[in-house]
Amino acid sequence: MINNIKNILVNSKNIDGWRVVETKTESSELFFVKKGLDMNRAKNVHHFKVTVYKDFEENNTKFKGSSTTNIHPSMDNDEIEKAINDAAFASQFVKNKFYPLVKSHNSNQPIIESVFSKAPISNYLSDLTAAIYKGDTYDKGCINSSELFLDKVYTRIITSEGIDVNWNGYKGELEFITNWKEDSEEIELYENVKFADFKPEVLTEKVKEMLYRSQNKAITTSTPSIKNTAVLLTGSPAEELLNYYYSQSNAQQVYEQISTAKVNENVQGNDVKGDLVNLKLDPFLENSTESRPYDASGFPLKTVSIFENGNLLRYWGDVRYSHYLNIEPTGHIGNLIFEGGSKSIEDMKQEAYLELTDFSDFQLDPLTGDFAGEIRLGWYHNGDTIVSVSGGSISGNIKEVQKHMYLSKELQYNNNFVGPKTMQFFDVAIAGV
Amino acid sequence: MQVTMSNYLSKQKEVLKNLVKNLSTDHKYVSVLAVDTLGKTYSAQKTGVAIGDSSWTERGFVVRLHNGINYSEFSFNELSEKNLNSVLKEIREKLTNDIEKLKSSSVEFNTYPVIEEEQIKESFFGNVKILPQEVNSKEKLERIVQIKDNALKCSEFLVDFKVRYEEVHISKMFISTNKDLEQSYIWSQGYLIPIVRKDNDTKYDVAGFSGLQGVEILDEMESNFEKVINNAVKLLDAKKIVPGEYDIICHPDVTGLIAHEAFGHGVEMDMFVKNRAKAAEYIDKSVASELISMHDGATSANHVSSYLFDDEGTIGTDTVIINNGILKTGISDLLSSLKLGTTPTGNGKRESFERKVYARMTNTFISPGNDDLEDMIASIKEGYLLEGLMSGMEDPKNWGIQCMILQGKEIKDGKLTGNIVSPIIMTGYVPDLLKSITMTSKDIELFGTGMCGKGYKEFVKTSDGGPYIKARGRLG
Repeated sequence: MINNIKNILVNSKNIDGWRVVETKTESSELFFVKKGLDMNRAKNVHHFKVTVYKDFEENNTKFKGSSTTNIHPSMDNDEIEKAINDAAFASQFVKNKFYPLVKSHNSNQPIIESVFSKAPISNYLSDLTAAIYKGDTYDKGCINSSELFLDKVYTRIITSEGIDVNWNGYKGELEFITNWKEDSEEIELYENVKFADFKPEVLTEKVKEMLYRSQNKAITTSTPSIKNTAVLLTGSPAEELLNYYYSQSNAQQVYEQISTAKVNENVQGNDVKGDLVNLKLDPFLENSTESRPYDASGFPLKTVSIFENGNLLRYWGDVRYSHYLNIEPTGHIGNLIFEGGSKSIEDMKQEAYLELTDFSDFQLDPLTGDFAGEIRLGWYHNGDTIVSVSGGSISGNIKEVQKHMYLSKELQYNNNFVGPKTMQFFDVAIAGV
Repeated sequence: MQVTMSNYLSKQKEVLKNLVKNLSTDHKYVSVLAVDTLGKTYSAQKTGVAIGDSSWTERGFVVRLHNGINYSEFSFNELSEKNLNSVLKEIREKLTNDIEKLKSSSVEFNTYPVIEEEQIKESFFGNVKILPQEVNSKEKLERIVQIKDNALKCSEFLVDFKVRYEEVHISKMFISTNKDLEQSYIWSQGYLIPIVRKDNDTKYDVAGFSGLQGVEILDEMESNFEKVINNAVKLLDAKKIVPGEYDIICHPDVTGLIAHEAFGHGVEMDMFVKNRAKAAEYIDKSVASELISMHDGATSANHVSSYLFDDEGTIGTDTVIINNGILKTGISDLLSSLKLGTTPTGNGKRESFERKVYARMTNTFISPGNDDLEDMIASIKEGYLLEGLMSGMEDPKNWGIQCMILQGKEIKDGKLTGNIVSPIIMTGYVPDLLKSITMTSKDIELFGTGMCGKGYKEFVKTSDGGPYIKARGRLG
């Protein structure tokens, strides 16, 4: 099929370039309610995403138009030609500043290893299921329900510039809910884990951790209204905050003036009291569903450093936006590795604190820097005693709190993110219950 | 103009019937949902424009069959008369192999009865004023670029002005032994997003447009950009709210968010099956002020989630979830209703043919009341008019609620002062919030932009809304 699409593109007189991204996905999926399998699903789907490019000039200024269309494997030749012609027609009105396409290269990219490549993916379902339910042995708590997805994805990219690359990747996802009941009503917590390699012990550990948190949530008191107390954000909320720096250093965000970050300046400002951010992007991070040798344009990826002690070393971005900013492209890399900071988590807990781990939906708006979330689980240490708390909310702005924040030495490993497990802040608003 | 069914699906109908017939020889229930969705997205901003297929575009099939214990599904997108036998072989092998491997391990199985269906043959074709194919891509792009160019002249604070228009033509066919259903309809949506900056402070607002409409939605977008820019500029002077409990009036978009997060997700009956919904214990009990009645359903309103049949072939309905403050029932997919012994409500929806069905909302709203907005504002000594939904998150088990809201317009001594606080997070216990409602306005409005997730995935199209409501809320 891809050769058929290629032939139509090569013979199309109305375009100046093209790219085809082919994906074939085989999937096995299990859905459990309590420990019982409620449904099994599988899929075998084949997709083609075609982008066509048209170069033109107006008043001595060069432009590059483009349009993207999906080609379904069930389309006949007439349908494919119509879809491509429609995209070609549209592309001549897409008046974007000129940029070059990724040129053919002879890069010898590393192969991303995964145990899942050694057998059909369905062979791993039993072992993964056993790992998930291994720690589900309590009287007062359990896994309420879980969903396990395992995909094998073949990707091939061919372009008018001679690029022809392909690779296999694996995408695992586990979503599960845990319950616990003490004297008051039963509670639940939600967790989602993504993975790319067969590491059943990671799933077992995650379930164990969530059951521990659920046990604590079942005995929470209401979050108090507190001021002038350090707030510790642990786990995924810390990841959400640190993603701000990934967004700020993106070439497209800079070109579109969404980000105001400047190279060779400290993104956190010049009078920082706490820790400084160090970030590198690694396209080959182990056990990440975002690991890949090439980005969607076929650009070969390699590890790059972005922030060093808060100082922005370079922007990262694809060929188009890097060309606009007149910088070397890095390609689109989806794995983030932040260095740990100066304090251990134990150091952060030497004085009164409110540590928050679970929210309804903790969000940071990368445009404004505002962040907020409703508290589902935390621990309040008033200097003498520790109680687990829930309810109320936290809010703040990263542009303000980054001047005085600390990053833990301990790291968390969460799919495409490696970074401090805990962040310590001193100026965030807590709306207690 | 009437929307027409996908030619591709019409041509596949006999193959689909043969597939069902063949699989029915060794399975007591077999159905297939076939989907062909076409869509385009047009966007413009200061730094460029784009045209591409909508992310809702898809073409493929999903087979569901009873495997003797419960249900199995297989999604695929290559089918023809020629390859029917190889598809049948693959379905049998793949689903059987997975089940057999699990049976030989220690995995337990939940059981489901065989679906019993009445014979039904029906079709539905929507109507729009201007079909997408009647206007070429050049003209559509020129119109949104013109909106952007006109908008950028409106304020010195504008860093950018983004315009996005999307048209989606859905065709679906559901075939089982007893069912033969077809539907085809179009919805469209648009966004106007001014981004403003003063010093280092960046703010933005979003105006959304949506409905069972075609290209005519561009008319609405063209006449509304000044208002959203003015609002964004005002946000540059917004203050932070002092956290606390306040008298609030919710704009219909925030009312819709509350309806959606508070009791929409809370009554999705697959959550009843999992014992994840507190609502199951509150049927026929008071959960809200007597002023509150709430509906959901494909036929409850004429909006982006209105259809003849859902993704399990169940005909859509209008469900009264809350009637005068009393929780009456939930909304259900087919398998959950089998498990619970209830009647399915036509709320079984998939993100795409590649994903599982869950119980999902359609058009969810709180019914109108008898009050005037002016009287509602006049009744508040100190509080906020909340406007602009950003996001929300459900908590069906413990009835917590999180609503991210763009702004609160200050009310003092019965009048809007012109002061604004932004952004706002509203949290609380759902019944406390709903029981605190003391006034509701006469008119309602529904909003269908954006997507609704189940947890953090499975995004589907929904609309929600209601009247202005006056309540007491915890804001931060």
